[in-house]
Amino acid sequence: MQHFALTIIGRDRPGIVSQVTEILFRLGCNIADSSCSILGGQFSMILILSNPAINSKEDFGDAFAPLEANNLSVFIRTLKEGGELRPELEGELCMISVYGADKPGIVYQVAKELGDRNINITDLNTKLIGKQNSPVYVMMIEALLPEGIEVEAVEGWMAELKQRLQVDISVRSLLAVEL
Amino acid sequence: MAVKEVLLYPDPRLKEVCTAIDGFDESVTTLLQDLVDTMVDTGHSVGVAAPQIGDVRRAVVVDVSHSKLGKKQKNHGLLQMVNPEIIEKEGDQVVREGCMSVPDYTGNVNRAERIVVQFRDRQDDLQVIRAEGFEAIAIQHEIDHLDGHLFLDRVTSLKTDLFRRKQK
Repeated sequence: MQHFALTIIGRDRPGIVSQVTEILFRLGCNIADSSCSILGGQFSMILILSNPAINSKEDFGDAFAPLEANNLSVFIRTLKEGGELRPELEGELCMISVYGADKPGIVYQVAKELGDRNINITDLNTKLIGKQNSPVYVMMIEALLPEGIEVEAVEGWMAELKQRLQVDISVRSLLAVEL
Repeated sequence: MAVKEVLLYPDPRLKEVCTAIDGFDESVTTLLQDLVDTMVDTGHSVGVAAPQIGDVRRAVVVDVSHSKLGKKQKNHGLLQMVNPEIIEKEGDQVVREGCMSVPDYTGNVNRAERIVVQFRDRQDDLQVIRAEGFEAIAIQHEIDHLDGHLFLDRVTSLKTDLFRRKQK
């Protein structure tokens, strides 16, 4: 079945989820996977959808026009075959907390250390907190360490970055158990 | 003495509050053996609770000594517990748990780091033990099953908690 990624974003208010999902329900769409959250004052929704009767983006017609009329931005992406399937993720999970005085490049430089070593970031979120005259940047990363990379090694790389960026960074493994 | 099928949610027995065992008859011994056999047969598992094999009585088995993580830590080997009860909890740890009865998902759960648990063993003797680390996590997870709680009821943070587990 053809799958689509639907992204919706707009100023947060009560009722967005119900308005969006009512449209999807009436269209007969399945929501296979989704994540929705408030970022700044914006509510953002990302959903992976399928519908046995819908094969192309055009088939949605103007179904989402009422959302646009309510100041929500709507974007649909057509997934390639298999694009709805989560790849098998193997490795040791680790959490990296980065926080300190706000400055440009925190996200990029931490992400680069990981990306260059083929470490997959599976979740990342950042927040600007603190007082206006002394903003603090907080970033939480969940990453999957491929075989051969230990948490201690990541700690080592992060210790260098910590000096360079003058931020605090801690790394810990996230115990994952099957019971 | 048999390997039983591990029930999957939404089987209603997984949401039942199990009943305490008060006459220690042969059926209890059989239940414990079935739990052990099932745990061993499922290979990767470090514990099974009675409702997971369809028996809604308060019994669990736990053995972390064969797991990669558990064998590095202090543990009691095979524990066969009837009417287990946690009587003391200490510390706090976040752990990403998965459960045989809820395949394909894992979630971050808060568990006590160290526990004192009281139970009757296979000989019907009262035991009180201290457990920590992975063994403590496994015991808390299995006892939750006896109250109809799945790890899904314990997930703490919202973001990405429901995380597709790597397929076996």
